[in-house]
Amino acid sequence: MSETTFMGVARTKIPWAPQIDYAKCDFCMECDDFCPHRVFERRDGDVKLVVANPNNCVVFCRACAKTCGPDAIAFPDKPQTIKLIKELRSAEGGTP
Amino acid sequence: MSYAVLACNGVDKVEGALAREVGLRVAEATGGDLVCPVLLNRSPTHYEKTLTEDALIVVDGCGTRCASKLATEAGAKPKQKVLVSKLAKASAVQLEASLLLGPEEMAFAESIVAEIVAALSAAAAPAAPAVAWDAPTDFLVVVFNKFEFRIPRQGYWFSENDTWARVMGDRARVGISDYLQQQLTDIVYFDPPEVGAPVEQFGVLGEVESSKAIFELIAPVSGTVVAVNEAVVAESPGLINEDPYGSGWLVEVELSAWAEDRELLLDGPAYADTLGPKAATY
Repeated sequence: MSETTFMGVARTKIPWAPQIDYAKCDFCMECDDFCPHRVFERRDGDVKLVVANPNNCVVFCRACAKTCGPDAIAFPDKPQTIKLIKELRSAEGGTP
Repeated sequence: MSYAVLACNGVDKVEGALAREVGLRVAEATGGDLVCPVLLNRSPTHYEKTLTEDALIVVDGCGTRCASKLATEAGAKPKQKVLVSKLAKASAVQLEASLLLGPEEMAFAESIVAEIVAALSAAAAPAAPAVAWDAPTDFLVVVFNKFEFRIPRQGYWFSENDTWARVMGDRARVGISDYLQQQLTDIVYFDPPEVGAPVEQFGVLGEVESSKAIFELIAPVSGTVVAVNEAVVAESPGLINEDPYGSGWLVEVELSAWAEDRELLLDGPAYADTLGPKAATY
């Protein structure tokens, strides 16, 4: 995939992706079945699911967390993320 | 109006036990018929008549939302829905691990029942007459494989989360793009924000639910919610699929910082450019 941007900012600079709480996750895979962006990947062994491609995650999307029965998925703070994006935009000289 | 109540019976989780309790009480309060999710799953035809003729109230326990999924599979369109785990979080209620409900859980169940019953009577009130927002006529069309995505050429501003704002004076109507409604497929429910609630740009203006996903409606604008589309909420969520830029609008917002908001939005042609790469990931 080529360099992607979100609101004019390089996607790699925006830390938005799901975080799995392995104390709660029961590896039902509902989130992975849902997400069309291949953010998650399945693994052999004890930890059967990982966030393998965090930059594929759509910024501000939290839909996978809403499929999660055990409530094991968290996301970064949204207002802080918005603030960061705005700061990065002005640092890079405004709208592209 | 006669009601049917489909509630999670998940007996291995406290959320399920609560959902069951809420379901029983809502059925009693509304005189509605209970739909057993286990029997519905085993024998879908058993409740065919109830599910098509009665106004359906769905009570989900946890985020797996089995009751909602069963309703969708049965082709039913819920009139009212709640998710117990979400309400518990919103009300900062700590649920005990015990599956036998204690007095606090019972009180919480009562409060959910009261909320459902209040929402049902509010929905029965006649909707205010709609302001005349003329429909767009001039569209850009982005073609991707077998898909065609329409985008109004002018007058609509888009967030990169596929929501739009159409501004008239100090107000904006908000909805989702044709691209997003096609990705979500059949929309079965819109859980609207509260009228009077403040919203920041990129905050959440309710949730759109399809058989595939629950999508948070990302606010393209900041301000105050002044209206929600009652036709979509109470009657026809399918309007979002049929006419996403017109009668399928979702929320009206009184604008508080439109000039600033606009800097972070895309016009029709710019939004159209984002769809190719996006569609390619499907």
